[in-house]
Amino acid sequence: MAVQTILKYPHPVLKKLARRVDVIDDEITSLMQDLIDTMQAGPGSVGVAAPQIGAALRVCVVDVSKSRHGKENNHGLLCMVNPEIIARSGTAVMREGCMSVPDYTGDVERATVITVRFLDSRTGEERELEASGFEAVAIQHELDHLDGVLFLDRIVSISTGLFRRKNYA
Amino acid sequence: MPHRESAHYAVSVVGADRPGIVAGITEALYRLGCNIADSSCAMLAGEFAMILIVSRKKTFTKAQLQEELKPVCERLDMTLSIRHLSLHEQDRKETDAEICQITVYGADQPGIVYRVTSTLAERRINIMDLQTKLVGSDEAPVYVMLLEASLPDTVAPEEVEGLLNSLKDELKVEIGVRIVTPVEL
Repeated sequence: MAVQTILKYPHPVLKKLARRVDVIDDEITSLMQDLIDTMQAGPGSVGVAAPQIGAALRVCVVDVSKSRHGKENNHGLLCMVNPEIIARSGTAVMREGCMSVPDYTGDVERATVITVRFLDSRTGEERELEASGFEAVAIQHELDHLDGVLFLDRIVSISTGLFRRKNYA
Repeated sequence: MPHRESAHYAVSVVGADRPGIVAGITEALYRLGCNIADSSCAMLAGEFAMILIVSRKKTFTKAQLQEELKPVCERLDMTLSIRHLSLHEQDRKETDAEICQITVYGADQPGIVYRVTSTLAERRINIMDLQTKLVGSDEAPVYVMLLEASLPDTVAPEEVEGLLNSLKDELKVEIGVRIVTPVEL
């Protein structure tokens, strides 16, 4: 049990492709506990991915049940190993910030409903669940970390789209 | 983090657009050993405007900065203005406040910006970003305004639409309000 320091960009591990986990052993169980502790220690944090604490492995936690946006619609604490999004639909834009990229926020477009499949580290069972709303956004954000993708890679700007075309002639 | 030991200036440059303005100004700043902290540039009609917060570890005076940038601005035919930032102005104005994005559009008429922004100002709602554009045809010009504002504790996000409702009828414009407060993930 230990709260770990959240690594910040430009730490190289944040841009690496994380490795799949072969077996849920003590190392993974302990990593998962660190992720939970670190998430719970961060004020308002709803998820942490292993690369954010320096482990390039496909492991992350998400829990939006205590957040304003997610408390009505969530699956509680999700301890995900080798998670994969197997279906997605709809799109919505949300302004995201990330503990690994402090002092900056940006509008990111993500699917509104996703189906995610993962190994639950607590039971060792494969789980498949449908998430929507803020929980879906948080899962997509954390899964991006496993691919070395930061929200900075996905920023869309609506305003330039709205204001770009203009012929003054 | 603000560098207390260094001098900070707000530099703005405006002039007829052409290729090379950003390169010209930033080259001069680079040669001066200045850091560009935050900056924003925009082109409106054929005018290009830059606003930059610049700093330098080794302090220098506004006059020195002026002297170095003046010839570059003259060459590019840009007007230059420089303001020294006092220590308390150098702090980043990060906010935990709720942020609203407000869209207003309708047949063009005088007073749209004024009426909307004065309604917001009365409730101490602070505009952080505002862009307007006149679109449509000569016969039917349409005014579009997009702004972002941070709300004081005394205004709830759900209230904002209500505050602007009476203007919808009066100005015959559409007004949309969306909460865009960032989520920390």
